Amino acid sequence: MGKSLFGKKNRVLLAELIKTDFKLRYQGSVLGYLWAVIKPLLMFAILYVVFAKVLRFGDEIPHYPVYLLVGTVLWNFFNECAQQGIHSIEQRGDLIRKLSFPKYIVVVSATSTAVINVLINICVVIVFALLNGVVPSLSWLLVLPLLVELYLLALGISLLLGAMNIKFRDVGSIWEVLMQAMFYAVPIIYPLSMVMNTSILAAKIIMLNPVAQIIQDVRWSLITHEAATEWALSGLAWGLVSIFIVIVVFILGVLYFRKKSKYFAEEV
Amino acid sequence: MKWSEKYLKRMREKAHEEALANENAIEVRDLYKSFKLPTERAWGLKQAIFNRLKGIKGFTKQEVLRGISFDVKRGEFLGIVGRNGSGKSTLLKVLSEIYVPDSGSVNVNGTLVPFIELGVGFNPELTGRENVYLNGALLGFSNKEMDEMFDDIVKFAELEQFMDQKLKNYSSGMQVRLAFSIAIRARGDILILDEVLAVGDAAFQEKCNDYFKSLHGNQTVILVTHDMGNVEKFCDRAILIENGKITCEGKPAKVTKAYMKLWD
Repeated sequence: MGKSLFGKKNRVLLAELIKTDFKLRYQGSVLGYLWAVIKPLLMFAILYVVFAKVLRFGDEIPHYPVYLLVGTVLWNFFNECAQQGIHSIEQRGDLIRKLSFPKYIVVVSATSTAVINVLINICVVIVFALLNGVVPSLSWLLVLPLLVELYLLALGISLLLGAMNIKFRDVGSIWEVLMQAMFYAVPIIYPLSMVMNTSILAAKIIMLNPVAQIIQDVRWSLITHEAATEWALSGLAWGLVSIFIVIVVFILGVLYFRKKSKYFAEEV
Repeated sequence: MKWSEKYLKRMREKAHEEALANENAIEVRDLYKSFKLPTERAWGLKQAIFNRLKGIKGFTKQEVLRGISFDVKRGEFLGIVGRNGSGKSTLLKVLSEIYVPDSGSVNVNGTLVPFIELGVGFNPELTGRENVYLNGALLGFSNKEMDEMFDDIVKFAELEQFMDQKLKNYSSGMQVRLAFSIAIRARGDILILDEVLAVGDAAFQEKCNDYFKSLHGNQTVILVTHDMGNVEKFCDRAILIENGKITCEGKPAKVTKAYMKLWD
């Protein structure tokens, strides 16, 4: 009866929930959906003033502002996606307690706004890059699979931690602190070359983090091939580690979620 | 979404045919369900680790359903009665696939539309129209199917002029009327209602009563209620649940009498 995981009935529900989220997100604000673009740009402006102008990071990096913008846009996407995803199940508890539908729909629909936002923001990045004198190239196409990789990571984390968060509400709080730490462990505001000048090993360790790998790869394909990537830094075999992490996290997330979701209605 | 709509319709028609082919709309066999209730504050990581260290299990097992079996015939209006906490709502949630039973089986022939509560997922910031479609999607109907039911739902709720206004501007009576109309005009093979029978003012209640009487023999309904008057008025058959077991089953008059005796 169309009960399969990606059955038509479930897709109708997913589409309806995404539409609702989208409609309600910026309800009652004057600028409405423009906020999706304005907010990351303002965040970027703050970071730019502090780190590029005051602390003079990235003086030797070509197109450093674009570099910084790419970092913040991708980080915001990852942060928003995981944050919304992890808390989606408890937030939609009213539905889960009273209706029967595959629970993954709740998680996917909660991350949808972040996906729409990042697609808009990537367009802003491209305009910004062109204004900054970056020359378009075919490697820009690589951005799409990299975004997919980042989304799979965020979704995997959402499924895994979201399911845990039902039983142990501490998980959500722990994750927030972890994200704060990770913000500084990933080359967003500082260029990776700064770390490389001090310790190559430290740079290699940083790049094992899939978020760092993706940010650097997007910079490499979008802005300049001078951006250090995991491949160039650690060789082919090590270059695959972060992709491997993403796959493992995603599979673990799906399996754990599937096992636990049967009992969400009782526990949420 | 054209092809998917077609697919959905075909699936529904197939399910409908299957439902007609079988005399029983629902077959429940030997259903058990228990819950783990946390004893002390077993919520959160700290307490979980603490309990593990001290060898405390952190929960007690509460048996809510203890071997329930019954059939519901196609077109039958079944009433389920019982005290608070006897397991009625848990039973409905197992039938609706919201809870997974510990053991036993539930066989549903046809599409089942559960109303454990009215207006689940209603959002005050959305218009009446948007809420109807959202509610429909949550219940498993496609937009096309909702298009077909929409006018009927709105007409029954008597809210034609208000559909493009936000739900937060509705009076509470109007809100339940809309939710209730979705519940009873939704075209599923089996309708499940938990203590949601007559809402709104006297005129609307009268209309609901007439409607329920007209359903006789055409629609399979399972109704959980504490109102014995309604059981006798609408139901073909009733069951009484006490401590997770069926203690009385049969004609509404007999079951309501047994229900009244619980307090003697």
